[in-house]
Amino acid sequence: MTRDHTRIEELIAIRSLSGLDPQEQAELEREMASHGPDCEECRRLETEYGEVEGRLAFALDPVALRPGFAEETIRIALGESPASRPGRGGGGWRPLVAVAAALVLFVGGAVLGAAVFGGGSEVPPQATVLALEPQDPSLTGTVTAAFTPGEPGIYLQGSGLEPLPSDKVYELWVIEGDTPAAAVCVPPGDDGSVFAFTDKEVIGSEVLAVTVEPSTCSDAPTTPPRWAGQVTTA
Amino acid sequence: MSVTDDLAEARDRELVQRIGRADEEAFRGLFGRYSPSAMSLARRVVRQPFLAEEIVQEAFLAVWKNPGGYDPQRGSVRSWLMGMVHHRAVDAVRREESQRRRSEESQLSDPVIQPDLADDVVDELGLPEERRAVRAALEGLPDEQRQVIELMYFDGLSQSKISDKLGLPLGTVKSRTLLGMKRLRSAIGGLPR
Repeated sequence: MTRDHTRIEELIAIRSLSGLDPQEQAELEREMASHGPDCEECRRLETEYGEVEGRLAFALDPVALRPGFAEETIRIALGESPASRPGRGGGGWRPLVAVAAALVLFVGGAVLGAAVFGGGSEVPPQATVLALEPQDPSLTGTVTAAFTPGEPGIYLQGSGLEPLPSDKVYELWVIEGDTPAAAVCVPPGDDGSVFAFTDKEVIGSEVLAVTVEPSTCSDAPTTPPRWAGQVTTA
Repeated sequence: MSVTDDLAEARDRELVQRIGRADEEAFRGLFGRYSPSAMSLARRVVRQPFLAEEIVQEAFLAVWKNPGGYDPQRGSVRSWLMGMVHHRAVDAVRREESQRRRSEESQLSDPVIQPDLADDVVDELGLPEERRAVRAALEGLPDEQRQVIELMYFDGLSQSKISDKLGLPLGTVKSRTLLGMKRLRSAIGGLPR
């Protein structure tokens, strides 16, 4: 006896677009169960609509990956978390930070500090304001840090940043040599802004970098830097 | 399916088999071949670069950890892989149900076109042809069918959301989707040999 697959086909077709509502998903499961595991037509429908689902992806042009993304994924696959990289093979974490050759460093933050951080902020007037460079051209927004070399205190400010899932935050790192030290972590506001203060100290030759981390904050970076800037006192 | 398709699929299956033997080069090969398309799909659906990276990474790591999850009887490697990316992306959108997502549309509404990403011609084997075939199949649909399919697939909207968005009865959304999908199945739902 030939069974009717009309309804199953409707549901499978829409499921392959991830368009089923939960009650329809339950209905599909019931229908499939009623046809049993040996229903060849059911399998054929699932296979052919599944093929449509996967192949629709190729309607889009491919996009360039962020530099380092492939290696990062392969390292994770091989059991090396990104955070474990610093101590291995002399590679270090710092080389991941592609700081622009022309460093963006503004000294004498009385005006710039007020302009970037707002006149009402407590950024000291003599602070140095460092614009961190995006490490991926697709990143939106700006990130700056203000500090006075040799004195405790770094202000981190960002605007127009990419929203993050609720379980992620932005985290600032002060990197001396190959060793990143956690400074402060902060979730972005709804408008993509961040503002945070840490009493960490910048001496004068570090790299400041911002990564995305779990909301519990990390002791070592688990993702590559999103923004970074080289501090110089020259 | 063309000969090029068959060759490409045979190569993909060999890569998956080698991944089953923890062959790093095979993983690099599969990643290099499909990650730009996977990223394009993930970014289109979730519209957040960071989240898209997470999704693509998860999907490829799932392949690395469980290549046996691929069943040649159930379709091509590329569809299996892109299906994983798509499911994850849609799940992410629905989890977030991000009000923020739309605010980024202007920045990410269209993928960056990268016409010749492959360093190696072999890496692109069959993919331009694949893109042409899929685009032709989509363009061959009546506008109203293509619209609901694109909203569901590329924007991750459920049928009821599409019904609200387009001001159409839910039944109309369902029937347009089904008609369109039947055409697509006929055009691109065939399996590689």
